[in-house]
Amino acid sequence: MSAIDDLVAELARLPTIGRKSALRLTYHLLKQPAEQSRRLAEALVMLAEKVHPCPRCFNLTEQEVCAICADPRRDATLICVVEEASDIGAIERSGEYRGMYHVLGGRLAPIDGIGPDDLTIAPLVERVRAGGVREVILATNAKLEGEATALYLQQQLAASGVSLSRIARGLPVGGDLEYADGVTIAQSITARRQL
Amino acid sequence: MVTTDALVLHAFDYRETSRIVRLVTRELGIVSAIARGARRPRSKFGAALDLFASGEAQLITTMGRDLHTLNAFETTKSRPALAESLDRFAAAAALAELLLRFAPEQEDPGLLDTVTDALDALTMAPKGAAEPVALGGAWCLVAELGFAPSLDECVACHAAIDSAASVTFQHRAGGVLCGNCARQAPGARTLPPAARDAIRGWLGRHASLPLDGPSLRAHQRLLREFLEEHLTDGGRPLRAVLAWERHEVDA
Ligand SMILES: [Zn+2]
Ligand SMILES: [Zn+2]
Repeated sequence: MSAIDDLVAELARLPTIGRKSALRLTYHLLKQPAEQSRRLAEALVMLAEKVHPCPRCFNLTEQEVCAICADPRRDATLICVVEEASDIGAIERSGEYRGMYHVLGGRLAPIDGIGPDDLTIAPLVERVRAGGVREVILATNAKLEGEATALYLQQQLAASGVSLSRIARGLPVGGDLEYADGVTIAQSITARRQL
Repeated sequence: MVTTDALVLHAFDYRETSRIVRLVTRELGIVSAIARGARRPRSKFGAALDLFASGEAQLITTMGRDLHTLNAFETTKSRPALAESLDRFAAAAALAELLLRFAPEQEDPGLLDTVTDALDALTMAPKGAAEPVALGGAWCLVAELGFAPSLDECVACHAAIDSAASVTFQHRAGGVLCGNCARQAPGARTLPPAARDAIRGWLGRHASLPLDGPSLRAHQRLLREFLEEHLTDGGRPLRAVLAWERHEVDA
């Protein structure tokens, strides 16, 4: 393996980058001053060394605990459980939620060999058991594996006596009923609310 | 372009906006296909491409390529009930894995129907009764794949076997052995008459008789050992089958 091949192979592992793009990026870097590449390499090293999961909620952070866990204005009695750290950004952008989070690190997927022990379920149960939590919102994806994961969490947390809720799903805001797929319409009807 | 009935056995996100699915189809057997843009909010796939959904797939196949393009998927039936109890979910994943690991990439219309029937039976399985239903579905899939075990005559010498007796079941040979042949085949399992009746019933697609906990565990182990023995794609473990047997999610 040459240095070029090595970099192409590494870049091609990244999402949205195929072999052709990896090759293009590699030649782009070769045309740049060496200092530019060195800065990129340093940034990557710092990323790997500094960023780690928050010990409380498993969100990604460079601090000892993440900014959300460290924020005293947030409601610590509320935990929203998500599959991935990237889901936190989506919920935060809505500006609706002021509680805490818990990142599972995926969803139950037996075919991919992902079971309860591969997710941060035990630390979540421990967090709830430690007290001070009023409600846990299960915000795993509305796909079959996300639903099964929510059900599993519901059973694991049942004994704790904490209030459990599941995010609602259905039609996208601004979406036409006419253009929605049957699965989404069926879910919207099942999850309808009394007026 | 091929339009064919299909069922989603495996689905995972790919890059920013796409999803890769593995489908069992009526026309092409098991295929992998990429659904470009399936994760975009207003994708034409909508919420359709979920695990265990049945539908009509439009596939663009390219000669000599393993990854086809899924042009459209019109869902005819989704199966959210498989996530409404964890024993159903674990069992459905085990059946999907069985098919993914054994099924050939060739036309086999019976395969789609067999797995569809098995999953439909699972969606209706009462709480706590998913296991015998899934065992039945699994043995039917095994038969459809062409390696149904021999239960009534010795696989080695074809001697008839007394139906009321405990018999020796050997995974490698693919069924039961008579007393003589069993002496030359160490490391086999003993199958009591009731267990043999249960498998015979499942293969005949009869409703399962109630089984107690130890019998269920013995049946799950027997099935898993049989599958492991007949896998031809190397020693990778059957992860979903093992998780199902060990009750990893439905304790
Ligand atoms: Zn945190
Ligand atoms: Zn014999």
